Amino acid sequence: MTYVLAKSKNSEIHEAGECGGAVTSIFKYLLDENLVDGVLTLSPGDDIYDGVPTFIADSEDLISTAGSYHCAPTMFGDLIQKYLSDKKIAVAVKPCDMRSIDELIKRHKINPENIYTVGLNCGGTVSPITGRKMIDLFYEIDPDDVVSEEIDKGQFIVELKDGSKKGVKIHDLEQEGYGRRNNCQRCDIKIPRKANIACGNWGASEGWTFVEINDEKGEELIKGAQKAGLLETKSPSQDAIDARSKVEGIMIKLSKKTQDAIYDKVNAMEEWNRCIRCYACRDVCPICWCHENCEINKSYFDESQIPPKPIAFQGIRLSHMSFSCIDCGQCDDVCPMDIPVSLIFDKLQKKYSNRTGYIAGVSDDIKPPLYSPAKEEL
Amino acid sequence: MLEIKHTLCPSCSVGCGINVVSYNGEVVGTNSYKRHPINEGKNCLNGRNSIDMYKNKLKNAKISNSDVDFEKAIDEVSNILKSNEPEKISVICSGNNSIEEVNKIKEFADSNGYNIGFYADNFVNIAGDVASYDEVENASNIILIGDILYENPLLGRKIVHAKDNGANVYSFVENASVTANISNEVCGSLDDVLDKIEDSSLVIYNHVESSDDLDKINDITVKNNSKLLAVFSKCNSKGTANIITPSSKEEMVDLLNNSDVLLVFRDDIKSEIDFDYGKIKNIISFTPCSNSTSDVSQIVIPISSWLENDGSFVNAMGLTQEFKAVIDSDDLSEIEVIEKIQDKL
Ligand SMILES: Cc1cc2nc3c(=O)[nH]c(=O)nc-3n(C[C@H](O)[C@H](O)[C@H](O)COP(=O)(O)OP(=O)(O)OC[C@H]3O[C@@H](n4cnc5c(N)ncnc54)[C@H](O)[C@@H]3O)c2cc1C
Ligand code: SF4
Ligand code: SF4
Ligand code: SF4
Ligand code: SF4
Repeated sequence: MTYVLAKSKNSEIHEAGECGGAVTSIFKYLLDENLVDGVLTLSPGDDIYDGVPTFIADSEDLISTAGSYHCAPTMFGDLIQKYLSDKKIAVAVKPCDMRSIDELIKRHKINPENIYTVGLNCGGTVSPITGRKMIDLFYEIDPDDVVSEEIDKGQFIVELKDGSKKGVKIHDLEQEGYGRRNNCQRCDIKIPRKANIACGNWGASEGWTFVEINDEKGEELIKGAQKAGLLETKSPSQDAIDARSKVEGIMIKLSKKTQDAIYDKVNAMEEWNRCIRCYACRDVCPICWCHENCEINKSYFDESQIPPKPIAFQGIRLSHMSFSCIDCGQCDDVCPMDIPVSLIFDKLQKKYSNRTGYIAGVSDDIKPPLYSPAKEEL
Repeated sequence: MLEIKHTLCPSCSVGCGINVVSYNGEVVGTNSYKRHPINEGKNCLNGRNSIDMYKNKLKNAKISNSDVDFEKAIDEVSNILKSNEPEKISVICSGNNSIEEVNKIKEFADSNGYNIGFYADNFVNIAGDVASYDEVENASNIILIGDILYENPLLGRKIVHAKDNGANVYSFVENASVTANISNEVCGSLDDVLDKIEDSSLVIYNHVESSDDLDKINDITVKNNSKLLAVFSKCNSKGTANIITPSSKEEMVDLLNNSDVLLVFRDDIKSEIDFDYGKIKNIISFTPCSNSTSDVSQIVIPISSWLENDGSFVNAMGLTQEFKAVIDSDDLSEIEVIEKIQDKL
């Protein structure tokens, strides 16, 4: 394992970047050297609460994508699988994005040769509308006056136009039903080690990005960007490495605590009672890729019943893919009836993981061993 | 290349936002628009399927079911309009049109002396205050008429929130439905459910049998110092109703009976109003995709879909929202088509 601190040598990128602008500089290097057809990242739409997936083919356009959008719970795995599988691309990935890509590689839906994965450590994302309400209520600030947000030392911190900052403890926000999305509060993979590199602010000094290099391709990325005069690097101190690892440990512990507290509370049958069979949870799920051929649509199931019989609807999906659920929360985000779909799927994945050791999107097994605890659960 | 852009859902009057994915200039999918304040990235199946309109777009103008040159079809329309008495020509407007389109349609009908008809789910003469979605979430007593959770899910969601906040929910709906599943009580008749109104209640409906029922709902709601929310089936019925007075079913039938030429703008009136359409001499449909009305139309003029236009819709609670084209178009917009016809008259 190699760690470096990295910083952009391009002053505009350094200024716009969240930490050292390393991620954006690496993307510029890949585009300028024609090593990729394009880069998949986010750019702000309506405002900073609106991160819109954007495919960039010209490095001149990268600058608007720099920075961290904490209120943008996007998912790149399915976009790549559906629309970009024949392109050579680079992509900025949170752990859940990376885990979806890993599961899709295992299913031969993404070719690992075609993709550079630049990882971002992730403490969690906040839903945009929840974020705005929360800033209005707990910070007594007009959400439109906020120019950026960050998560640091257990606080969700907002920065205003005049440079002033205000933070509130994430714990306090979450006690009141605000803060990070529910699945993020359970998410226990905080550093995307399957990505070529994993970048973050943990362990970084001001103005630098802390980079964990995970494989040879990652090594190439750093060396290439350095050679192209876009990146400068130095070694982090042992204290910095230790501090980073300590925060990671604390975050994981917190997530496990949330898992323990919540898994027993969900009453799946009662929740499915409001299901309108809109298929949004399936259609958005990055692991569910066989849409046209999906068993749920086969004619031997009565398609007219609303709510559908759980065993013939959610049950099918549970048995087909819950062992690979990466707890990305996309299904919760799109469910019109606010059913905690991810909680039910993730709970089963964890049960499976406890028995088999398989961590979705993380374990190296070629394919998760086929085994379905779903029926028993239902 | 891959592009994701914001627009509004055109499939009901709730007013949800939706992201549309395009690839090399073709619409290929939808994506969740989480920053939108009404639906926070959630869309129902109808909403997500609304982009099928792009896939199913008409490629050519048609006369008597045969493809014809666009200019020839426009000439034919203007000939028909010139050779009939204006009072025998009726324009059917629709809640599917944007505010800008409705204004143009009205100007076109008025300046030529044509009749104008607009049908909005038989919701006529809506009295009283309209409830906002925030008021739905904070209501303590909610009366539902129709399967709102299934048919207008992103408003249904606000009712689920109200229920979680302790509201009582009474509904007049099928027993086997999600709306019934979240209701405190399912009532067997309209009168029974209206009996549940108390001071400061909220009455939400998406379906009424008759104008009499509507009057009954209006009266009781106003008397009880309560608010109404009429959920239209089309995205801009509310906005259109601000410009053109909606007609009842009976009034629409009268209008159809009195028409030799029917110009139907972005609507499928045949699916809503029972009538012997064969009696009308000329039906001319202006539509992006075929529908049951265009199937019985003598002339069909293709117009661009909402995906290719800028405009604004007014949702059920009265909020005006603007949208921008998500894709370039080779087709003329409805407004351009109307201008073209007007030039020939
Ligand atoms: C939601 C979120 C939470 C984070 N939490 C932590 C944490 O707890 N600990 C930690 O060490 N680091 C965390 N990071 C990583 C850190 O904030 C920086 O992104 C990282 O250090 C890279 O900095 P940079 O200056 O090199 O990146 P930049 O040059 O600024 O580039 C960042 C890239 O990430 C993309 N991006 C921004 N937001 C998202 C998003 N939501 N999803 C996908 N891509 C996105 C941008 O479009 C851009 O391409 C988090 C990042 C995000 C997005
Ligand atoms: S699921 Fe995990 S990786 Fe994904 S946004 Fe939430 S905390 Fe970050
Ligand atoms: S089931 Fe839900 S949480 Fe699990 S991978 Fe699919 S979308 Fe993500
Ligand atoms: S998104 Fe929600 S309502 Fe729609 S099918 Fe899935 S669980 Fe049912
Ligand atoms: S509820 Fe209505 S506006 Fe919202 S997505 Fe569904 S059809 Fe569209």
